[in-house]
Amino acid sequence: MQQLTVFMDIESSRTYIDELYSSDPDKVMEALVTLKNSVIGSNRQKSSVIQQGIVPRLLQLMTDDCLDPTIRLEATITIGSLAKGTAENVASLVEHGTTIILVELLKVVPTGLRLTEACLCALRSIFQHPPAPISALPADMRFLTRLTQIAREGSSTSRACVVRILSIWCGGPIEQEALCVAGACEAIAALLAMRGFTSPPLARALPALDLLAAMCFENANVSQAVINTRHGEKTIPELLTALVSRDKPLSVARGAARCLTFIHRAGALASDDNRVVFGALPCLARLCTKEMPEDIRATAAETLAYLAEVDTALQRLAAISNHLMSSLTEIVVCPSPAAKQGAFKCFASLGANDEDIRKRIIETHGVMVHVVNGMNNPEPAVRLAAVRCLHSLSRSVQQLRTTFQDHAVWRPLMQLLNDSPGTELLTVGSSTLCNLLLEFSPAKEPMLDQGAVEMLCNLTKRPEAALRLNGIWALMNMAFQAEQKVKQRILCTLGTEQMFRLLGDGDTRVIMKTLGLLRNLLSTRNHIDAIMAEYSSQVMQAVIVVLEGSYPAEVKEQALCILGNIGDGEKAKDLIMANEDVLRKLVDYLAHPESKLQEAALFVAGNLVWRGEAGSAARQARLADLGVLRALKLLRARHDAHHLHDKVKTALAQFSDFT
Amino acid sequence: MSLDTSSNNGTSKPERKHYDRTKSDDLQISRTDMNMLIMNYLVTEGFKEAALKFQQEAGLQEPALCSSLDERIMIREAVQGGRIPEAISMVNALHPELLDNDRYLYFHLQQLQLLELIRAGRAEEALAFASATLAEAGANDRIALTELERSLALLAFPDPHTSPFADLLLPSHSQKIASELNAAILKMENQEYTNPKLCSLLRMILWSQSELDKHNVKYPKMTDLANATIEQPK
Repeated sequence: MQQLTVFMDIESSRTYIDELYSSDPDKVMEALVTLKNSVIGSNRQKSSVIQQGIVPRLLQLMTDDCLDPTIRLEATITIGSLAKGTAENVASLVEHGTTIILVELLKVVPTGLRLTEACLCALRSIFQHPPAPISALPADMRFLTRLTQIAREGSSTSRACVVRILSIWCGGPIEQEALCVAGACEAIAALLAMRGFTSPPLARALPALDLLAAMCFENANVSQAVINTRHGEKTIPELLTALVSRDKPLSVARGAARCLTFIHRAGALASDDNRVVFGALPCLARLCTKEMPEDIRATAAETLAYLAEVDTALQRLAAISNHLMSSLTEIVVCPSPAAKQGAFKCFASLGANDEDIRKRIIETHGVMVHVVNGMNNPEPAVRLAAVRCLHSLSRSVQQLRTTFQDHAVWRPLMQLLNDSPGTELLTVGSSTLCNLLLEFSPAKEPMLDQGAVEMLCNLTKRPEAALRLNGIWALMNMAFQAEQKVKQRILCTLGTEQMFRLLGDGDTRVIMKTLGLLRNLLSTRNHIDAIMAEYSSQVMQAVIVVLEGSYPAEVKEQALCILGNIGDGEKAKDLIMANEDVLRKLVDYLAHPESKLQEAALFVAGNLVWRGEAGSAARQARLADLGVLRALKLLRARHDAHHLHDKVKTALAQFSDFT
Repeated sequence: MSLDTSSNNGTSKPERKHYDRTKSDDLQISRTDMNMLIMNYLVTEGFKEAALKFQQEAGLQEPALCSSLDERIMIREAVQGGRIPEAISMVNALHPELLDNDRYLYFHLQQLQLLELIRAGRAEEALAFASATLAEAGANDRIALTELERSLALLAFPDPHTSPFADLLLPSHSQKIASELNAAILKMENQEYTNPKLCSLLRMILWSQSELDKHNVKYPKMTDLANATIEQPK
């Protein structure tokens, strides 16, 4: 045994480092062992030797296959120790090309050797420091197959390292598919099925579960392959179900439930499958309870939010007693941002589709206070999650009138929307605003003061279709039964040019809502007259554009309804009457094969011929001249327009010379 | 470990309010179970020769000697003998990641080295060593810093063995660290039980007694673990 001094100071280390470059293998070996013993456990030593430039020499010793294997091994182990240092240490290693060299070594070195294990340990340590050098690992099938083989057959340490590396590396569909083909599923199944004494020791199961989750996330093919993969007699879902039980360590249960969740959401397990309903769901609910550690509760809530996000049956099941929602109320007041985020997202999912659940969330659990607090939280992710929660709850029309008003949720919401939010927050926030504007009559005024109209008009100019839609939809809701000055403000701020642009939008829904906005603006008689007095030519032009263009029937129906509304206005009627083009179109639409268009045209005609209005006789004569009377009679005679007969009769009855 | 409860049929027994060692037992503890516990203790703690001899004498099957038993024995001897660099070198050869993963353990080993220097009266070297190596761990960990301060405080006393921190210089301290290291090695090898099962049993006794104490129950209490002395309730 070499005589070791009690401690090495920085100066004396120079001597043994020089020996690293010796041509005598024994001296090199001695120096390596001394170096290794000096850096293990001490970040200061690691930094010091890296600064002295030994990394290239170590890499050289690692890769030289003429050297004694023990030298190569010791060099690799030393690199591995350096990789357990600070982030700067790891960055230095990566800069020197360590990752690539390790990968190259792994491609050629036989898998059973200690050298392989040392390479994997070093690589794993490097990968665990973000940002992981993912690009250094090729999606090369031979290489990946090698790795998955090690994951099945290698030493315990090697297996753990491979799985950990791959779970960090697996970032998207390409990696997911590649790993699946390379046999990762079988390796994972073997790891999950391993029995230490009675259950897989924590160290083996957790990385395997992380890898499985990474592979299955949003990937239908891989998830399908996974549910058919067996180890012995058990399929992976069966193995996972065994791991979500109460006697398993919490992080293992959480990991297994997460995998089942991802597999279900990717489409490979139905939402009524036992493994989801009696496996993942109750486990996640249990992990949310108050006795659990905060970090477990946070991730369990987030996973549960994802599980129940779109399926009403699962939402109802999860909300079936008040236990879960009480647990979530505890989680939302935990200090960590992750916990708040998880809880808000879970509330958002649970309340997404069911009115009763929303009611319970708001009334029984007093969530609104937390939502408002959440929208004011310093962490952006928490604010976003709080808005998502509010969005879900805002689908509850009853609650809109009472609870939301009490908590003035619109104020922090408007603040967030005006504060240069990211696209995600803007989308969810504007959708929420849309819903709030449906009922929120008293709050509309202050919202105007906060610049709501300008903000929404700006949204309609965004490249993202979802944002344009939300913008115009919110304006439409805002205009519904609004005061004249609100309507004026909207028209003025949006501008007719923008309106025309929106009428030509690539997304039909945007066109529909624009027409809906026009319809809402042109309601109530004096509003109609006032608006048409100022904007008549633009409005008529808009209507004609839609009626002439190749739009779907439902869009044209909206345009006709607008026309009908104009026809209700006192002075505005004349505008239609003066436009022969429009009147001829009206005749055509009365005879249109599409029933809803007939009905809409009928509505227009009915308003124009209405006997009670001044000047009706003149209008009726004109319309009769153009063939409207004839068209109405034909309509009455048609068998397939039976449901319209009452309205037709009423319209015909308006004509003075028809008894 | 199995405890057989024999069933009584027919005759009614007087209700016993406390455990009477002189009466015949309902609870049987088999000799095999006891032997296995002892064997487990010997193997875990690294008493290889004793384990082999005991196996012979007790007629047990070949003990499950872990592959690292020899190394663990040598490492323990080095630690308890104050030859720390040697111990560290052996641990690094066996499990190179262990001390990097557990910096607190590494600190404890370095601390033992410091104590060796203090014990030998090499005060200046001790201070230099402390600032070169131990300061790093102390900077990152509150608890380590406190322990470091205690160790260095020994230097303030002309006779460290009579100072308030003299416990650090006793063999019991290095034995404690040696056991810590032993357990860490076993854990690294994925052994489920890194402490002897006897330890768990003793802890169970202490826990049960404290639970009973909380509820003010009167029971025969084991007051001295080493001698298994049981005191009857007053």
